[in-house]
Amino acid sequence: MEGMSYQRFPKVKIRELKDDYAKFELRDTDSSVANALRRVMIAEVPTVAIDLVEIEVNSSVLNDEFIAHRLGLIPLTSDNAMSMRFSRDCDACDGDGQCEYCSVEFHLNAKCRTDQTLDVTSKDLISADHRVTPVDFGDPAAYDSGDQQRGIIIVKLRRGQELRLRAIARKGIGKDHAKWSPAATVTFMYEPEIHINEEMMGNLTLEEKKAWVESSPTRVFDIDPNTGQVVVVDREAYTYDDEVLKKAEAMGKPGLVEIYAKEDSFIFTVESTGAIKASQLVLNAIEVLKQKLDAVRLSEDTVEADDQFGELGAHMRGG
Amino acid sequence: MNAPDRYERFVVPEGTKKVSYERDTKIINAASFTIEREDHTVGNILRMQLHRDENVLFAGYKLPHPLQYKIIVRIHTASQSSPMQAYNQAINDLDKELDTLKSAFEAELAMHSRDY
Repeated sequence: MEGMSYQRFPKVKIRELKDDYAKFELRDTDSSVANALRRVMIAEVPTVAIDLVEIEVNSSVLNDEFIAHRLGLIPLTSDNAMSMRFSRDCDACDGDGQCEYCSVEFHLNAKCRTDQTLDVTSKDLISADHRVTPVDFGDPAAYDSGDQQRGIIIVKLRRGQELRLRAIARKGIGKDHAKWSPAATVTFMYEPEIHINEEMMGNLTLEEKKAWVESSPTRVFDIDPNTGQVVVVDREAYTYDDEVLKKAEAMGKPGLVEIYAKEDSFIFTVESTGAIKASQLVLNAIEVLKQKLDAVRLSEDTVEADDQFGELGAHMRGG
Repeated sequence: MNAPDRYERFVVPEGTKKVSYERDTKIINAASFTIEREDHTVGNILRMQLHRDENVLFAGYKLPHPLQYKIIVRIHTASQSSPMQAYNQAINDLDKELDTLKSAFEAELAMHSRDY
């Protein structure tokens, strides 16, 4: 039986793609793989986030740890996070994270000198590495058109208040702390398969059809105005709520419609925090999952130890 | 206070093996694999992949306790195979599946950016 393969060949179709959003279909695999991908995207794809903050001056209304926490939650562009080192296994430094391989330094220096409240935002964070900067959510159109506030507000300062600090960003994963998660939301749904029993449906009056179509909380079905037939307008709007099935039963027409969840077909929705592109998030998740699988391969000495045992095993099996 | 460090969840302690293998003492072709610092992500895909193997009579995994960061994968195979063979096969097949998935996604991505 050596060499027998039970491998699958999944198919992908991207429906919609933006920098921070992706919607795609995944077919010919099972829910365990879909769920593993989802879990990895949320908790195990690495990004960079502020992890250590040294506050020099803080006369703002927020206390030091409050500000440190807020700084940690700011998404930083992490396109090179996959190739960075975790500071705990960085040989170049003592693990206090100040070398180019595992950390990036930030400075923030703000003082309010006017009577108007000063907003300290992620724009005021000065990075030592141009590849790692706070993400820019600003709509370029709004920027051109006026003095729109951009960046993420960290704290507001009144006259005379000052904030001066040094921060170190490190590579990490969402499992450690959610601030390292590159995913805003990652979900998948099973693709539904909807079969309308046309014969039974044809026997309904228009009123009955209307009542039945209305019973769905989401707009899955509609009535064709020309033919008066019930049609599926958006099967993915179906939330597996069973309302239409219950309605059919209540009308004394069980089996009017049959709905199944396809077990090998998934629709993924991925939203990124902006730390990495949504498409890159998916690719990185596949890569991380591959690395995880590689790490759980049996080591040579485990196999050897069993081989010695194996001779005995062969006897037990009857040679 | 006495909470375990967060990194305990994913850093394998020094001197500990990532995967250890233990044969069943009573049943031939049955064994348990203890995988340190892994969870449902790996456990479930391994289990489901093992179920596709006809020589596997039983495959299951458990997370013994939420604060013990390990999983135990138990495999029982028919005499033509062995738990170790099935385990390696499952990992290889999943690895190849992910390669296929990766290239499929990249191909779609190339198509999509061209349409932009």
